[in-house]
Formats: sequence, C-alpha cells, structure tokens
Amino acid sequence: MNLEKVVFGFFVVLAATLNFGFFIGDLQNPALHNKYELFAAVVVNLIATVLKFGDRTQIGAVHLATSLVADLQLIAATLALGFAAYISTDGLTPAATASIVSLSGGALLANVVSVVLLVVETVSFHRG
Amino acid sequence: MAWKGVFRRDREQRGRRSALRLVAASAAQTSAAIFLVLRRMRAPLIVLIVIFAVTVLGLTLIPGQDAQGRPWRMGFFDAFYVMSYTATTIGFGEIPYPFTYGQRMWVTVSIYLTVIGWAYAIGSLLALLQDRGFRRAVAAQHFTRKVSRLREPFLLIAGFGQTGELLGRSIDALGRRFVVLDVSDERIDGLELDSYYADVPGLAADARIPGNLDAAGLAHPSLEAVAALTDDEEVNLAVVMAAALLRPDVPVVARVTTRTLAERMQAFGSPSMVNPFDRFGDHLRLALKAPASYQLLTWLESGPGGELPARGLPPRDGRWVVFGYGRLGQEVTRDLRAEGLDVTVVEPHPQSEPDVDLVVGDGSDPWVMAQVDLDRAVGFVAGTDNDTTNLSLVAAARRANPSLFIVARQNRPASAPLFAAMEIDALLVPAEVVAHEVYAQLSTPLLWRFLREMPAQGDAWAAELTDRLTRLCGQQLQALWKVRLTPAEGPSLRAWLDSGDARLGQLLRNPENRDEPLHAVVLVVSRDGQVILAPDDDFVLAEGDELLLAGWAAARRALGTILFVDAVREYVVTGRRVPSSWIWRKLSRASEPGGR
Repeated sequence: MNLEKVVFGFFVVLAATLNFGFFIGDLQNPALHNKYELFAAVVVNLIATVLKFGDRTQIGAVHLATSLVADLQLIAATLALGFAAYISTDGLTPAATASIVSLSGGALLANVVSVVLLVVETVSFHRG
Repeated sequence: MAWKGVFRRDREQRGRRSALRLVAASAAQTSAAIFLVLRRMRAPLIVLIVIFAVTVLGLTLIPGQDAQGRPWRMGFFDAFYVMSYTATTIGFGEIPYPFTYGQRMWVTVSIYLTVIGWAYAIGSLLALLQDRGFRRAVAAQHFTRKVSRLREPFLLIAGFGQTGELLGRSIDALGRRFVVLDVSDERIDGLELDSYYADVPGLAADARIPGNLDAAGLAHPSLEAVAALTDDEEVNLAVVMAAALLRPDVPVVARVTTRTLAERMQAFGSPSMVNPFDRFGDHLRLALKAPASYQLLTWLESGPGGELPARGLPPRDGRWVVFGYGRLGQEVTRDLRAEGLDVTVVEPHPQSEPDVDLVVGDGSDPWVMAQVDLDRAVGFVAGTDNDTTNLSLVAAARRANPSLFIVARQNRPASAPLFAAMEIDALLVPAEVVAHEVYAQLSTPLLWRFLREMPAQGDAWAAELTDRLTRLCGQQLQALWKVRLTPAEGPSLRAWLDSGDARLGQLLRNPENRDEPLHAVVLVVSRDGQVILAPDDDFVLAEGDELLLAGWAAARRALGTILFVDAVREYVVTGRRVPSSWIWRKLSRASEPGGR
C-alpha cells in the first residue's frame, strides 16, 4: 500500500463528497445548503489541487485540469454567496441561492470527472 | 542510380525522424523546471491552506458581540478578511466590531500559526531558487529558447577550453554567431564576462548527451557546422557520432590526437579531423622546405587582426635531437626523417622501439646531454608534455650550443610568458594549432582551398605574395572577406564585366583618388570550381567569379561602394566623373552628343 496514493484518493473523493453534500437539496432553499459545508468543500478542493501539482503524466495533467475547474466554480460560488450576504440589498434570495448552488453543481461535475479518472487509473494499474 | 536515390531518401528520412524525436525529448526536459517548482511547493502550500482553513473556521465559530453587546458570529467573508491581513502582518485591527476575549485568544493562536505557514512557504520557495538543480534547469530552458530563436547561421562549438575560445574569438570577429557547450560552469560563466560582439548562448552540460547537443541547436535549420574541441577524445567522438547520425548534411570538425580514435571517427561520415601534433609536424616540414610559404600560412590562419609572424630560417641539413618520443616526438621525427634529416631521439621511458637513433635516459641528466652530442646538432625539439621540463631542456641545449634551431612545445597557457622570454624559434601550442586550423576550415571554404594549394606554388611565389600583402595592407591582417561578382552582389559591374576586358587591376583602385590602389589583395578567384591563386592586375574577371580578399576594413567598405554605385565604378575603372543623380545624368548626356 502506498501512503501517498491513500492521501491522494482520500482528498479527491472527499472533495467530491463535500461538494455533493452542499449541492443536494432544493435549489432555491438556503436552509438546505450549509455554508460551512461550502467552506469545507473549497478547502478540500484546494488541497486536492495542490496534491496534483507536478505530475508529468497525461492523466496527471487532466487530473489537475479538472481540479482547477472545480476550484474556479467553487470560488465563484463563494463570491456569489458573499455578494448576496454582504453587498446585495435583497439578501439571500431564492434566485441568489439558486445561482450559488448551480455553480457548486458545476464544480461537482468536475469533481465527478476527477473521481472517474481516479477509478480508471486504479483499474488500469496492473501489478505484474 | 535509382537505388542510390532510394537509399539516400531513406537515410534522410531516418535522420529527420530521429531529429524530431530528439526535439520532443528535449522539450520535455526543459519544462522540468516548472514541474520541479510545483512538486516541491506541494507541502508548503498544503500547510498554508490548512492553516488558513482552520483559523478562518475558528473565527466564524467563536461567539462575538456587536457594538450594542448583542451576541454575534463572524461571517466567512469577515473571517477570511481578518485572517488575510493578519497573516500577511498588515494588521488593520479588529473589524467590524471589537473582538471578545474568546476571539482574541483565537486570533493570537492564528497569528503564530499563519506566520509559521508563510515562513515555511516562502523559505521553501527561496531554497528552491537557490537549488543547483533548479537553477540548472532554468539555465537550460533559457539557453534552449535563445538558440531556437537564432535566425542567422551559427556554429556549434562543443568544448570551450583554450582552443574553443580562440576559435570563438576569430569567428566572432568575422561577425558570425556561435553557440557553446562545455562541461565546466566556470567557462560558461566566463562567456558573460568576456566581450564578444554578438550574444553567445552557452550551456554547462555534457556534450556526450544528444539531448544537450539538440538544445544547442543540432536540429536547428540554421546550423552551419559543428566543432568538437573538448580535451576528451571520447567526448569528441560522441559529438561526431551524434552529428553524423542526426545531421548528416552539416560539416563536422573534430580535434583528435591519436590515430586509433581518428580511425573510429572516420567510420561516421567523413568528419574533418585536426590533429595538432600531425599538423605541427607538417608545418615544421613546410617551414624547413619553404619558410616563406610557412610564414604566409601561419599569418592567414591566425584570423582577423593577426600580426605577420617572423620568417624563421631553419637549418636545411644536419642532425636534429628530439627530446620526448610521445605523440609529438613521433610525428616530428617521422616528418624530419621524411625530409632526409638525421634524428637522435631521447626518451626516458620508451613505449615502443623506434627505428631511429634512440638514447634512453632523462634529459636533465648531464650524461645524456653529453651522449647526444648537441655541439654538432643543428636542431633541437623539446617535446615532452611538461612545460617545466621543456623550458629547462631548452636552457640546457642553448648553453651547450647557442646556434641551435629550437622547437618547443607549450602545454599550458600560463607558461606563455616564459616561452616568449625564451625566444623559441618554432613554438607549438596545440590549442592554437587546432584553433587556427579549424578557423581556416570554417571561416570560408575559399581560404581553406587557398591554404591547401598554396604550398605547391613554391617558396618564391609565397615570398612575393607576402611582400605584396605587407606593401598594401601593412603588417596586420585586418579583414578577410568574400565577394561574388553576381548581379545581386555587384549590380554596377554588369556592363563592365560583359565588355570582356574587365581587368582586376582597374577595379581595385581607391574611389576617392584612382591613382592610389585599394588596400586589398585578391588571394583567390574561384571560377566554375577552378581556383586561381593570387591573380595579378591583368587578370580578366568574368561574371560569377568568387573572390577572396585580404586587406583593410576600409578597403572592404570602399569595394562595397564600387560594386553598388555605378558612378563610383565608372570613375574607378575609367577615370571619368559621372554625375550620379538622375537630372545631372540627363543634362550631361544632352550636352555631350557623342556620349553613351
């Protein structure tokens, strides 16, 4: 067992699950989307991205790309949340919530691709 | 014939394919620097992210109160804002409301944590920038980019020791570009300190690795020639091999000192090889037979700015004594005997039994000195590979017989002042011999042909040409250049050349005052593959001739004007002042009814 692979797999899957947890639920209802979960998803996604740095293989490059997409979407979601909560006079309206959650949904798709890549990599690995 | 064509095409394709593969490999190699940074920065970045996450999360969870004292929790945005300016030591204060004690405790912990995180990340980045491997990777990338952007023809010099540097200077003085590959960091750093006219890209890397040769432009379309001049014969062989296999179309010049290696190199295409000892032996022979030819040869080989060397007068008959029967001793002995001279060899540890008069012993031994009977010898060669030994041998020989013709070998550049003070009659500096020879081969093909065919013309001819050169251009060789009499390079000459009476002497006049000659001498005229050496003033030029000239830099500019401006050509050739502007030409033609 390779500890590096365990840590890597752990963070990739955790990023996807946290993202999924935030995304699931009625699109417009802010009560169903916990902001702490979004925070955790952002942090874990950033860590997963850094873990993918410096891999020179083709699959490593795609891994990094999906992670960067997920980061971008999640950070956009947090910015949208910040805008709705602090700057917008209307506050956290159903429309604002919907846009935040759908942005995180995009990130979820990227994270799913990441997990699929991880599975493909594992399945195609032959030990002799 | 057809088969030959097929084979050649196949070979070319193979060469191109392997060159392509090489390019891909070296491109991957150079992007390594970025990957190295990313990989090494993983741990510090993760630590930083975790510290930020923990401290921000803590701030949002710890209860605070607003201005009215009501319980209040900090939002993620506020927490991130506070942590960002705290961690970067900017410190705007307690925003948006004064902190409670719980919050202050947490912020205190956070400050120390984030400082550690930043210190670790920045420290790692700085350590990485100092890292030898990383800097090497960056330098390689920089070098590769510089070489791939070269748009003019350039020379690839592998090995930048004494020889490479001498060659580089001459090539630079000709206004041509070159690229350097050497194992030593110091020599490559030295490149930046030295003053060259053009920027010289250099890389400290092993020339044996084809990837490094490729980075230095082996697959580059503008590559003109490759010179393998390292001290290590194996490296030179590796460079010749790589160049012959990957770029069969590019000429290669290599330095060799042993015959076995020369034969191994011969298997790869036909590189031209320069053996300093062999060449020195040939030069010595030429110096014995034809001192003036030798003088002219060494002068032209010395490159731009070379001073006319003194003409030696070696003894034509008598006995020679050679100390040291190594690579040099063997070559010199062979050449001297071929000239029909007696040779006595002194060698402390003879490797093979030479078929010459051999005295086994150390040169510093008075008994050995007495044995070789220097009083009755005419020439003396100090050819060991130790400068101190050579100098003491020369001193001892001079004392025994002051009229001896002395030949000595200088191994290290640092010994140069000592040898100069000794006033040696013929000094061998292997590095210079190689550099001059390679320069003659690579500067212009015409010079190389001239130098090869010149000895056959005889000593008197060479003496006369040297006289002409010194009379017109002085003791210093300023410039050596090539002119092609084509419509593109000499548009003003067309009508004159077609007249069939275009004499060389008419063209080489000063454009300011045609009574004075142009300070330049034509060394060679090449016509349809035939060469005419040093044509005289009555030589009739024709279109398409290629001329190699030696002379002043000012003469080069003046000749350029003659070749391009009709009025100047007309004045130089006929003495008529022709107006050069269109309107004056019209007017003068009208006033001169019989005019052209």
